[in-house]
Amino acid sequence: MSDDIVVDHLTKQYKKLRAVDDLSFSVRSSRVTGFLGPNGAGKTTTLRMLLGLVTPTAGNATIGGQKYTELPDPIRHVGAVLEASSAHRGRTGRNHLRMICRAAGLPDSRADEVLALVGLTPAANRKFKGFSLGMKQRLGIAAAMLGDPRVLILDEPANGLDPEGIHWMRDLLKAFAAEGRTVLVSSHLLGEMQLLADDVVIVAAGKLIRQGPVDEVLGSMGAAQVKVRTPQPAELTTALASLDGVTVAPQADGSLLISGTGAAAVGHAAFTASVELHELASERGDLEQVFLQLTAGMAGIR
Amino acid sequence: MRLVNAELFKLRSTSLWWIMGIVLLPLYAASVLANWAQYANTNAGDVSDPDQAEAVRAALEPINVATSMYTSGQYFGILILLLLAAIIVTSEFFHLTATTTFLVTPRRESVILAKFGAAVLVGVLLWLLTTVLNLIFVPPIMSNLDLGSQLGEPAVWRAIGLNLLAFVLWAVLGVGLGVLIRSQLAATLLLGIVYVVGTPAVGLIFFLLTRYVADWFDKLQVLFPPNASQLMISGTDLPGNPPRWVGAVVLIGYAVITGVIGTLITKRRDIS
Repeated sequence: MSDDIVVDHLTKQYKKLRAVDDLSFSVRSSRVTGFLGPNGAGKTTTLRMLLGLVTPTAGNATIGGQKYTELPDPIRHVGAVLEASSAHRGRTGRNHLRMICRAAGLPDSRADEVLALVGLTPAANRKFKGFSLGMKQRLGIAAAMLGDPRVLILDEPANGLDPEGIHWMRDLLKAFAAEGRTVLVSSHLLGEMQLLADDVVIVAAGKLIRQGPVDEVLGSMGAAQVKVRTPQPAELTTALASLDGVTVAPQADGSLLISGTGAAAVGHAAFTASVELHELASERGDLEQVFLQLTAGMAGIR
Repeated sequence: MRLVNAELFKLRSTSLWWIMGIVLLPLYAASVLANWAQYANTNAGDVSDPDQAEAVRAALEPINVATSMYTSGQYFGILILLLLAAIIVTSEFFHLTATTTFLVTPRRESVILAKFGAAVLVGVLLWLLTTVLNLIFVPPIMSNLDLGSQLGEPAVWRAIGLNLLAFVLWAVLGVGLGVLIRSQLAATLLLGIVYVVGTPAVGLIFFLLTRYVADWFDKLQVLFPPNASQLMISGTDLPGNPPRWVGAVVLIGYAVITGVIGTLITKRRDIS
């Protein structure tokens, strides 16, 4: 059985709001896929439809070819972390996990195993109300791991984690994907996704904006830029003006940011025009800028 | 079955159950003492209205005193049960655990059925607790009233059995109402107040309707669930009251209606 996630023409219409609008994308196994979009883009609604918690107005979503609600013992196939604060305040972390074990027919001992996995063993007998936000996220991940699933779906898991926690989660998810499993992570933290994700799915206002491997999405946007520092900026700008599709943007610190061509072409133009260079550097495209470009005007309150 | 087990585990793993237990015990003791005092001090001769005197005389027959005493604690036991059963549902939404619950078991009707099952088991447990306490404390009270223990009477055991049925039906009703109301605060306040204040309030409304509109309104009092369960456990048919089975039918009706509507709503609702 494949573990791919397929979202097919999914739509959710609330009374006045089309939260998700004819959205289609797919998520492959053995890779970490980032599900990106500004707040209110419909990410959470999409994930909840994928997991059978919200009924779609149209379209459908499958995991390994089956709807979530039709999977026998779904948490043995799919682990999900949807909201960090979803446990009874007066119940201990261990009992929260045992409760899930009982309902899913897993042995109680799994609760202690996943607590150790996420480093929460010392807090096992503490009540949930005494958990920090980061501990709540870890408990959520522990709950998702109980059934040793092939597919992991996480909604904004980095929220509330400190830098060490984010690093820990990144390693965990990458290791998970490396074992051939499927990982889908939603986020609005783009820098994090650039470090974590292999593929990205970008949505805004409920619609698909772009999907593909991170590098491809960055490249397709012409996001690569060249940074140049020279005592003769006017001469270099003139020399570059002869090249097609090249734009030169003077920066506040005196450098020039050149987009539309590579470092080699810029160096060659400078050489032939006898322009002295003090710095010449390719800047890798920044997902955040691409994202802001792609979703410009679509974010915000709908 | 494993879902019922999980639901019971949810209940046991928070402090709610023993808080409710601590609340119940003094209320139970108070209702036994109140019943005792009532039977020790009431005399049919004191009542002037002949219809009422007849009703009081019937209520004071040893067998009716016995059924009432041996089902002491029903009123508060069911109040606690009603709140517990509603909270079994509402706490899932209050604490946002509904997401987890329905991720583990996407067939939501199974979850609601398990909640019915767990609430019924809690109801049976509460019935068992109050009944055992009654069997310990009521016989000495009965001999104090010079009535004998009456434990040889089948009507007493039938009342105890019907009391069990009342607990079971109220458990189902509580879960159904919990699904319908959903907000934890609203559910506990509303059910608690309606149950406690409702009986005299409904009594007054029906009294006025009977007095000024039509006599037959009096017969409809049984439609108010607490009245229905009171009626169900009376020892013999009391004058001026509908037969016992009507009480059972009314309760079963409410339990089925809230249960079915609650399950259907839960199946359709978006969990977010």
